[in-house]
Amino acid sequence: MQELIFALANGSMYALMALAIGIIYSTTRIINFAHGSVIMIGAMTSYWFISTVQMNYILAILSAIVINILLSILIYKTAVEKLGDLTNNSSWIVTLFGASIIIDNIARMIFGTEPKAFPFLFNGMDIRMFGANIMVHEILMIVIAISIGIAYQFVIQKTSFGRAVRAVSYKPDTARIMGIRSNVVVLTCFAISGGVAAIAGALIAPLTFASYTMTYAVGIKAFAAALIGGLGNTKGAFIGGIALGLLEGFVGLMIPGGLKDAVIFLIMIFVIIVLPGGILGAKIFNKGNIAAEKI
Amino acid sequence: MLQVKNLTVGYGKTEVVHNISFHVERGEIVTVLGANGAGKSTILNTVVALHKAKSGSISFDGKDITNDRPDQLVRKGIRIVPEGRQIFPQHSVMENILLGAHIVKDQKKINAQMQSIFARFPRLEERKDQLGGTLSGGEQQMLAIARALMTEPSFLILDEPSLGLAPIIVTEVFDLLKQINDSGVTVLLVEQMANSALKISDRAYVIETGNIVLEGTGEEIRTNPDVAKAYLGNVQKM
Repeated sequence: MQELIFALANGSMYALMALAIGIIYSTTRIINFAHGSVIMIGAMTSYWFISTVQMNYILAILSAIVINILLSILIYKTAVEKLGDLTNNSSWIVTLFGASIIIDNIARMIFGTEPKAFPFLFNGMDIRMFGANIMVHEILMIVIAISIGIAYQFVIQKTSFGRAVRAVSYKPDTARIMGIRSNVVVLTCFAISGGVAAIAGALIAPLTFASYTMTYAVGIKAFAAALIGGLGNTKGAFIGGIALGLLEGFVGLMIPGGLKDAVIFLIMIFVIIVLPGGILGAKIFNKGNIAAEKI
Repeated sequence: MLQVKNLTVGYGKTEVVHNISFHVERGEIVTVLGANGAGKSTILNTVVALHKAKSGSISFDGKDITNDRPDQLVRKGIRIVPEGRQIFPQHSVMENILLGAHIVKDQKKINAQMQSIFARFPRLEERKDQLGGTLSGGEQQMLAIARALMTEPSFLILDEPSLGLAPIIVTEVFDLLKQINDSGVTVLLVEQMANSALKISDRAYVIETGNIVLEGTGEEIRTNPDVAKAYLGNVQKM
């Protein structure tokens, strides 16, 4: 039971990270290759706020969200808007990778190479549930992930902002003549994605240790979850994330640590061969399954 | 009302529109006529700021708007119904109309405007929950116009509103444009098949490969033998 909840908790964080990738992908068709670094910065800054500034846990995460939003805006302004024209070419593939490398190395300089033990929410308090001791932190991970997923879906489907996001995703120029500022909408999506990444990074850090290597240790799983579930698809992100978490828990019981990730990624490759668009099919708003066929 | 002076527009190094000047006065319907690739859409898209002008100036109500953003032009009362209608196919009809009112924050104003739109286009009200992509061509054109009217523009630009529509629907669209014009909206039209457009136009310009080659009243242009041969088919027999 403990293992199951652990796997679900991890999975729900992968889902959040995949959702954050999807927020950007479904509006701009850009895959944010710097996303792993953004997650890592979310975890490291919240660690820094807790340990060095002695902030309260929640306040630290909120501050990390703010920093991540600023970081994402910076990434958009430099790597996407200035260096990689998102309508004319695919330079953003290289510039976003470059941004990721720069961020990782800056993080290494600031926070050092030592992995840090990240505290749990409520000091790791656990409650007895289903005949097992389950950490409140893990339950909160699942609850927060699901709430964010539902809130995002509501915003996209029901609000005027969401309507504009879907319009921009279909045709930015047509959206502009409606009076929508397409680049502001895209920028906002980058900011939201960064905020979500901060939450995911900070909540998963107690289970993985916080270090600048999280970009690859954790970030890459975000991409795996997104691909398994279907890029840009909210439900897909959750299915992919939870599936990855369960798979990891299950494989981890049978295979020693070093090989675990290799097996998981082999399975991911297999899933992508069988279902190129992911379990639910890649989704760009308004483009339906066309995108999945193109991949 | 709209004054375009020495406008030059290009894509990369290719110049598409060369040093064009034209104007539209308040209350007029003006048609810009030209074959495929003459640069008509480029001119319109530059007016609504989707393209940057290479040189030249555009002013509206006496104020320079050359460097405005599209959303600023929407606020100033300039709306375009783009070529091919550009309905958002996965948004419902209702959502398409609401997108047209994106800059309006006052919910009461939106509702009032929506009522008057539905009064004018009862068909759209019947289909308000349907997806935009499921409408017929004519209905999509109505929706595209309705969407643009949501901000009560004073200046309406239409890029080939008759494109791909059945002749009977085309007549309907032009009747509607006349009505909109009568209610005080200035209209700038671009057309390829222009007989019906010229009939309702006060003035018209003819463009060839990015240059204005002819201008005159709608009737003058319509009865000009060269224009008739090139753009109007067998209009002389009519």
